[in-house]
Amino acid sequence: MATPVVSTDLQDSFTATSEQVENSPSKNITDASDFWINAYQDPVAGIKTSSSCMALEDLNGDGENKLIIADVGTTPFDMRLKVYKGTSLLANMQLINLPSGLCTFFVDTNEPMTPAIAVASGPYVYVYKNLRPYFKFTLPSLDINPTEAQYWKQAKEEKLELLSFREMLEELQATDTEIPLTSRSLKLLQCLPEELEVFFNMYKHSPLKRQTVITCIDTIKKTHNEEKAISCIVIGSEHREIFILDPEAFTALARVYLPSVPVLLYTTGVYEVDYKVYVSCRDGNIYLVKGGSKIAKICIQTGSHAVGIEKQGKNILVGAMDDSLSCYTSRGKKLWTIQLPSSITTMEAIEIKSKGIKGVILGLKSGEIRLYRDKLLVNKLMLPEFAIGMKFGRFGREDSTLVLITGSGKLSIKMLKRTANLETRIVGDTLKSITPGKLNLPKKTKLYTEQAIRERENSIPIFQTFHRDLELIKLYITREYAKAIGSRLAPISVTTENIKLSAQVQGLGPGFKLSVSVQNASNIAVTGLLITFIYNPTIYGMTINAIPIPFLVPSINYTYEATVECLSDTGVTEAIRVVITKDSVSIPLLTALITMPVSLGMLIV
Amino acid sequence: MAGLERSRSTRPGLLNRLATFLGIKKKEAQILFVGLDNSGKSTLINFLKPDSYKRQEVVPTIGYSVEQFTAGRISFTVFDMSGQGKSRPLWEHYYRDAHAVVFVLDSTDRLRMEVAREELNNLLLHADVSTRKVPILFLANKMDCKDALGPIQVSVDMCLHEINLHSWHICATNAVTGEGVEEGILWLTEQIKHRL
Ligand SMILES: Nc1nc2c(ncn2[C@@H]2O[C@H](COP(=O)(O)OP(=O)(O)OP(=O)(O)O)[C@@H](O)[C@H]2O)c(=O)[nH]1
Ligand SMILES: [Mg+2]
Repeated sequence: MATPVVSTDLQDSFTATSEQVENSPSKNITDASDFWINAYQDPVAGIKTSSSCMALEDLNGDGENKLIIADVGTTPFDMRLKVYKGTSLLANMQLINLPSGLCTFFVDTNEPMTPAIAVASGPYVYVYKNLRPYFKFTLPSLDINPTEAQYWKQAKEEKLELLSFREMLEELQATDTEIPLTSRSLKLLQCLPEELEVFFNMYKHSPLKRQTVITCIDTIKKTHNEEKAISCIVIGSEHREIFILDPEAFTALARVYLPSVPVLLYTTGVYEVDYKVYVSCRDGNIYLVKGGSKIAKICIQTGSHAVGIEKQGKNILVGAMDDSLSCYTSRGKKLWTIQLPSSITTMEAIEIKSKGIKGVILGLKSGEIRLYRDKLLVNKLMLPEFAIGMKFGRFGREDSTLVLITGSGKLSIKMLKRTANLETRIVGDTLKSITPGKLNLPKKTKLYTEQAIRERENSIPIFQTFHRDLELIKLYITREYAKAIGSRLAPISVTTENIKLSAQVQGLGPGFKLSVSVQNASNIAVTGLLITFIYNPTIYGMTINAIPIPFLVPSINYTYEATVECLSDTGVTEAIRVVITKDSVSIPLLTALITMPVSLGMLIV
Repeated sequence: MAGLERSRSTRPGLLNRLATFLGIKKKEAQILFVGLDNSGKSTLINFLKPDSYKRQEVVPTIGYSVEQFTAGRISFTVFDMSGQGKSRPLWEHYYRDAHAVVFVLDSTDRLRMEVAREELNNLLLHADVSTRKVPILFLANKMDCKDALGPIQVSVDMCLHEINLHSWHICATNAVTGEGVEEGILWLTEQIKHRL
């Protein structure tokens, strides 16, 4: 029944007329650039926001998704929470603080099920239900620098002159970095001298507080993963902490410290089962906070700063400030990178369930909107100006709607055509600098590459260690050399009397014969030399302890002999030192150590 | 088949009158109801049905549903298509056999007027429609709602003046009370009578 049966009589009854040709079927082919229906545009919407401050959600449970925007406002102190139902503004509420993020979630299962809106703003999370304020969560305040508190106290008691008070604060700010100053003190430091008094009098009576601010917000399902299941709020704060809040009691279920300030969150999983929070931090790294773990582990080193994180299947897509879109495995290994022609202003995930399509949309500084499926560019769209905020999802009753906020505050709503083909890559899109995926490397090659990578990554410490060792060796050698020279241990003297000395031991013991040969290597004769033997008298005994050499003719080898008696019968040996001295000079010219052999004769007898 | 529904009626209703107008006997007239989801197609058909077959509550159609009425000796087959995005590709399979098309528009849904126009374009460009003359009745439904666009505005937004092959007509309706429906059905009757 679903397929039309060709019935000839019906065809006859609707015989085509000549006018039919007017709409030729060739028009049926959709233009690749023409994927989007321009549903609505408000050039004067005057909205200033970011993708993290936008949401699409069925707030009233009437099957129609609303657009929720936390608007920073085009003028100062004009922050607003705006809710669009279709093209009309359903709500426009004042916000007290600058919003940093927004999300929608279910706080309870009471019928009718309506989701709440959470707006992160300053140190607070404002929760709205049915478009009315419902709850306000405040981040716990931080410790105050005691010196700062004391200064304020003294100034209040008028023990301190205002100007010197300011100077002291300034000094404190410059010296003590352990606990930063409160925002009030910082504000006071910014005051002009004439404004100082007014400012001080306005705040002096209220207690001093140091508060952190929320930098990012997201949600995570609490007990089970269903579309309308209760969710916990996940927030990241300026003082490097991640909080997971209970949706009913609004107490912190988990707190995890990070090595840097979190700026972007991406959550998966269920809080009570297993969850993962990917946190992009200001140090350019993406950390992973896992369920049950109290510490954040480094997952991805982007080498830049992430503009957006999205998980696609098992991989993580990161749009970064170095104009690149990269794909990493969940272990942080980079699979590929695409270099973009312009910097990314905003990034948003797309999922079209009916077609089984997943991908990301990137808003570029050039005004281009690019749609990537994996690393394939499947659609490009050119806007007159760049997008600052972007949301893709169901709006009104239409799935696959793209809500765009551009730099000048324009709101534009585009809907993906049902006939849009997102299966093929755009012609002319070249895949630039794609690092190949996983190759099956032989073990040795792998070892080599790992080693090479390690050397590349740690080149500085490796060089430093090598250099240090080299210097140590040099130092050791120099020291030994200096010692040798200092005690004239070298076999050739280095003074003006150039004398060579060599000594030999002959015999098996207990009687030994020492023959010492001395040669004058210079061409002038040397006079008044004395050969002295230094030995341990408990082991050895000698008939002569010194041999005088009155005259040494150049280049003739003189040999002197002396007998040594080994007195010990235990077989111990000790070296005998031969020293050559000249007349009254106290430093020896040369020294030689004669290693004595074990007295064998004694053992034989 | 999912959503298939048949109801036979011998009671005189509005469609019965339509049959009398047509003056056709033992013939079948197929009317295709299309339009985006939530526009009020099922509510309209429910209104057209003889009283005893009226349903208390209209739920979103899944896939499509077929209503068959025997008015006098004429059988009417009305195809009520689901307007949901994923079901819209189904519509084109029913163009070939349709004697007339009723395109229902939610005149309060400004956001999706362009989507409706896109779907109308797809319909007009389809080979089974572009090669023959099919009367198209546009119903700017939900006229009772305070933020509803008027039929003139709807026809401008939908660029209806660009249709020159087919005869078309637009009128504002309230599918719940039936207000304005009669005018449209009368126009449709005239058109089909001409063509059959
Ligand atoms: N106020 C008002 N409500 C209407 C009118 N027509 C339909 N509705 C309501 O609109 C809703 C949707 O009507 P349906 O008839 O189910 O719409 P449909 O076009 O069949 O939708 P799908 O089957 O999903 O394609 C229902 O809640 C109707 O009560 C009308 O003229 N005025
Ligand atoms: Mg229906």
